[in-house]
Formats: sequence, structure tokens, C-alpha cells
Amino acid sequence: DRAPSGPTSMMQSGISQAREFDDPPGLHEKTEFLLREWVNMYHSPAAGRDSTKAFSMFVGQMHQQGILKTDDLITRFFRLSTEMCVDLCYRALNEQTHSPTLIRAKCFHTLDAFVRLISLLVKHSGDSTNSVTKINLLNKVLGIVAGVLLQDHEVRNTEFQQLPYHRIFIMLFIELNAPEQVLDGINFQILTAFCNTFHILRPRKAPGFAYAWLELISHRVFIGRMLAITPQQRGWGMYAQLLIDLIKFLSPFLRNADLTKAAQLLYKGTLRVLLVLLHDFPEFLCDYHYLFCDVIPPNCIQMRNLILSAFPRNMRLPDPFTPNLKVDMLSDITHPPRIVTNFTNMIQPASFKKDLDSYLKSRAPVTFLSDLRSNLQVSNEPGTRYSIPLINALVLYVGTQAITYIHSKGQTPSMSTIAHSSHMDIFQNLAVDLDTEGRYLFLNAIANQLRYPNSHTHYFSCTLLYLFAEANTEAIQEQITRVLLERLIVNRPHPWGLLITFIELIKNPSFNFWNHEFVHCAPEIHKLFESVARSCTVAQP
Amino acid sequence: GVAPLGRQPLNKEHLYHLAMLDSSYHHLPHPSDSERLRHYLPRNPCPTAAYYPQLAPPGADTLDFFQRLSTETLFFIFYYMEGTKAQYLAAKALKKQSWRFHTKYMMWFQRHEEPKKITEEYEQGTYIYFDYEKWGQRKKEGFTFEYRFLEDRD
Repeated sequence: DRAPSGPTSMMQSGISQAREFDDPPGLHEKTEFLLREWVNMYHSPAAGRDSTKAFSMFVGQMHQQGILKTDDLITRFFRLSTEMCVDLCYRALNEQTHSPTLIRAKCFHTLDAFVRLISLLVKHSGDSTNSVTKINLLNKVLGIVAGVLLQDHEVRNTEFQQLPYHRIFIMLFIELNAPEQVLDGINFQILTAFCNTFHILRPRKAPGFAYAWLELISHRVFIGRMLAITPQQRGWGMYAQLLIDLIKFLSPFLRNADLTKAAQLLYKGTLRVLLVLLHDFPEFLCDYHYLFCDVIPPNCIQMRNLILSAFPRNMRLPDPFTPNLKVDMLSDITHPPRIVTNFTNMIQPASFKKDLDSYLKSRAPVTFLSDLRSNLQVSNEPGTRYSIPLINALVLYVGTQAITYIHSKGQTPSMSTIAHSSHMDIFQNLAVDLDTEGRYLFLNAIANQLRYPNSHTHYFSCTLLYLFAEANTEAIQEQITRVLLERLIVNRPHPWGLLITFIELIKNPSFNFWNHEFVHCAPEIHKLFESVARSCTVAQP
Repeated sequence: GVAPLGRQPLNKEHLYHLAMLDSSYHHLPHPSDSERLRHYLPRNPCPTAAYYPQLAPPGADTLDFFQRLSTETLFFIFYYMEGTKAQYLAAKALKKQSWRFHTKYMMWFQRHEEPKKITEEYEQGTYIYFDYEKWGQRKKEGFTFEYRFLEDRD
């Protein structure tokens, strides 16, 4: 039902038209006159409910002034009106003498009227059943406002103010999501238009708008529409994209663990949004966990734990601290989790994928294993040597292939059935052959799958313990312990599969955990293990 | 420790991002920016001592809670918090206490006694009403309440 590139091209043309200034003579004055008229009409008691009376009169005036003659003139009218509203806000915000409340009331007086005008024009464009005209106009207007914003952001630079745009977008969104028949039928296209606009204005494109942007995408009405009300989870993919935009913006600062006050505030807001999502829409975080883990920097333990701790609401997780908990007896561990990302496609180049498949099938040639490292490496710079998305995709792909393979033999994954296969060859080779940096990323890719009870959690839990047991050096064991431990010593929440795996490691005597040197390397590390063991109700030797 | 992959120097673009974020930090969005304009009770956040309640009591957005408020409080909410859920709940609570809204006078009326006369179109008798201009309850004898001005007839 969506014309290919129709609405998008309207938005693009709106954005580019925001940079045109060759207006016909007199149009500026006409627009100013009309906008002032409308603001007065909107606020007059005679405007009628939802300004309908005022609007029918105003459309007459627009006709009289010739604004509705061509699409080009309408576009210009919107652009000039947006600029006038924005200018008014800058003037009000720069008046030092007034109280902040008064300044805002002044801005809202005009902005709210302008928003109502946009929403009425969208609702009444074309006849009542013509949704294409309405959606095209909406995309056009959103494009214009976004274009004016980007222009303003570029020109005013650090003097940029987010207020007018923030108000226009949120108020327009709320108006166009009101319970009205004419809007109900086009709700999904309305959501799409706003999501596209927010994606265009993502923090990396308009960093001065980032706070308002976060307020927009975390507004209760927006989250409700995107994740709850729209049927068949059709809004989920678009919402995930916006969260990824946010994480990508923060990631260079988070990675260095060096945040300015301003970045800290945005990070705090991001965590709050994730908490809301974890509480209200855990299935959403479950489905998209893979994509988020690809963009969250490796050191952001808590942020990743928030996502990995999500589990479907109908599920009851057994307490990981139950003595003698038999994980392999749980029925949930036979079911694969839902992953909406096509991670197979992320294994690039195609020739590498082909070699991988052929190795998985025939366990030959051995050169495939020796070439693995160079296939994952993208630079020689320490800290950015490897492609994290490629490691993540490889690990999950090989794991899911292994599960299928084990099932095809009529078995279920366990410490014995996962061993001695082409899949485990690859994992063991990565553990041995990669340097510290690569191994850290590889082990993190495995730990990212330790979530609620499902077949991936179970398989990767066994794999990690197997790699520990079969390690030929203590360095590998130390690193496995590190990856698990650093995800556990942060504040809650902790993913279920992570706890299960760690408890098994320190509890099961076959891993000989307490006799390793790295457990005792420093008194504070030793104390740490003791306290973790105590909290895991494990008696340590 | 906290940056296991080592620090990555920020490039020019990242520094620009930080500069823009830092400058917008000085004029952050205000809670009122994404709310309908409140004419009488605009938001005015200010630091309050931690030993004062920072949050409304739980359940403060339920009809039960509103029914426990005084009528004057309900009238205040009704006239000064237009278009909010609170106004809706206040109106509901008033109706439960047998107040009826007169859409022409825009005031709430309550029977003081059984009406002297009741017809299909109106009732007549002594009423208590709330005068929002004088801000107080008044009594009116021999008042005719025309049903066409009765809000929400059911």
C-alpha cells in the first residue's frame, strides 16, 4: 500500500526545498500576514472545537492570497512559516527580561497554532478517502521542517536552539495520532513518516538536537504507538533503527569511558529508555538483541546486560541459584530464540562464507582454520584490529549450524555432543590462534548468547565451558573467566544464562577452577571471587 | 580496565558532535516543551529539599483518590487544569457526589432539596452552586435548571 519511494521522495524534496530562497516577490509578506491571522484565529474563542470553524474561514483566506494555487507555493508557504516560527522563538529566548515560563508561553502560542494548521491541512487535503495526498503532504511538511532544522543547525552552530523543532514534532505527532477515523486508516504511514524524519535528524546528523531527539523517541505516546498499538509488530524494526542511531552516536565516547557531563546526561537518558523497554517490551529487546550488541561498545557491560536480560513475558526462569538445577532437563532449552536479524548475510565477503560452509560440511581444508584470523582482521591498529560485526556473525552462524547438525544426528547439545566437529574446530582454533584482543571479542560474541533458557543459551554455555576445560593455556581460561566475571560484578540485571554458566564453572569440580593461578594472582581478585562464590551460594574449597 | 580495547582518539567529527552536545546542554528541553500549554499552572521545576515528598502518592491518578478530595479541591482542578486527565477525574468525582454541570453558566450545581417541580424539560428548586469568580459556594432559590444545559445526559 506504500508507493515505492513516493513518500520518501516527498520528504527529500521537502528537505532540499528548505534551502531555496528565490521566493516570488510579496510571498514573504503574504505568509507573515496569513500566519499572524491564523495564530489569532486559533486562539480566539470562536475557533470552534479543534479549530474547525477557524480553519474553514482560513482556507478561504489562503485561496484569496493565492497560496493554494500550486504545490510550489504551498511548499514555500510552509517553509516561510516554519522559519518565522523559529525566528520568533529565537527572539523570545534571547529576551533576558522575561521569566522562562513567559518566554515558553510566548513560543508555544505561535508554535501550537502552526502545528494545528499543519494537522488540519493534512487531514483535509484531498477528499476524505484519498490517503496518498495526505501522506504526501505530511512527508513534504516534515521534510521542510527537518530541512529548516538542518540548515539552522549548520548556520547557528553552537547557538542552535532545539525548542521550536522539538515542539513542532511532538505536538504534530500527538495531533496526528488522535483517535479520529480519517487518521486511523493512515496511522502506519504517519508513523513511518515520523520515523524517517527522526532517522534523518539522528544525533550524528544533528548533535545539537540530540536531547530533544531522545525526548521524541522516548515519548510515551511514540513508544506506545511504535511498540504496542501497531499490529503485527510492524513498528518494531523502525524503532530498533532509531535506538541503533542513538547507540552509534554515543559509542565513540562510551568506548573510551570518558564522558563529558553533557554526554553523561544523554547516556543516562539512554539507560532509562532501555529500562522502560526491558520492563514493558522485553520481547522487543529479545528479538533485536543481536543488532544492539553489534553496535554497543564491548566495555558497556551494563547497557548490554539490560538488553541480554530481556526474556519473553510468558516464561518463568528457574532460579539460577537452585542447588542441583538440571539445565538440560528444561524444556525451554530445546527451542531456538527468535532473531530477526539476518546475521548470515553479515558474513562477508561471499567467498569467505563459501569456504566456511564447505569447511563446516567436510572439515577440510585445514588451511581454512589457519586463514581464519586474517579473514577477521581489518587493520593493524591495536584496539580496532577486528571486525566486531563479522566475529559476532561468525560465532552465531557456526553455533546455529552446530545445533542443527547435532539435532540431525538425533542428539541434543551437551558437553560431549558439541565436541569433535568442524564447528568446535573453528571455535577452538579462534580461542588458540587469536591474540588477546581478538579472543576478547570472540568470547564476548559467545557471552552475548547467554540469555534466557533457549537452545542458543544452552549450546553456547556448553561451548564456553568446553573451551575452558580444553584450553591449552591458562591465558584462555583467564580470559573466559574475565569475560564472565566482568558481566557479573556490575549492578543488576544479569542475564540468566550468564549466571548459569559462571555458577557451573566455579561449582563443578571437573573445571578445577579454584586451583588456577589467576584466581589467586592478587588478594583483591581472590576476595572478589570469594564474594561472588558466596553470592552464588557455592561452598568454595 | 574500563576501556579494554584501549582509548581511541576522537576524530574531528566526534569533537564537533561533543561541542554541539555541550552547547545544547545549556538549554535542555523543558518538561513543558512536550506538553499542552498550561495556562494557569505552568510547570516551574525548582530544587526542593529531599525530605519533602518528591513524588505524588501512589494511586493519585485514580478516581478513588479524587473522591477523597474536598469539593473545593475538585473545583480547583476542574477550572485550573483544563484538558487533563485530572480534570476528567475531578468531574467524575463531582458527579458521583451528585453535582451536575451547567453548560451555559459553566458552573456546578447540586440540589439543596428535592426540586419543587420536575418536568420533561427542566427542574426547579433551591440549589447550591460553585461560583468560580467569587470562588465559593452560593445558594440559589427558585432556580430553573433546564435539562438542555445539563452536561452528559444519561
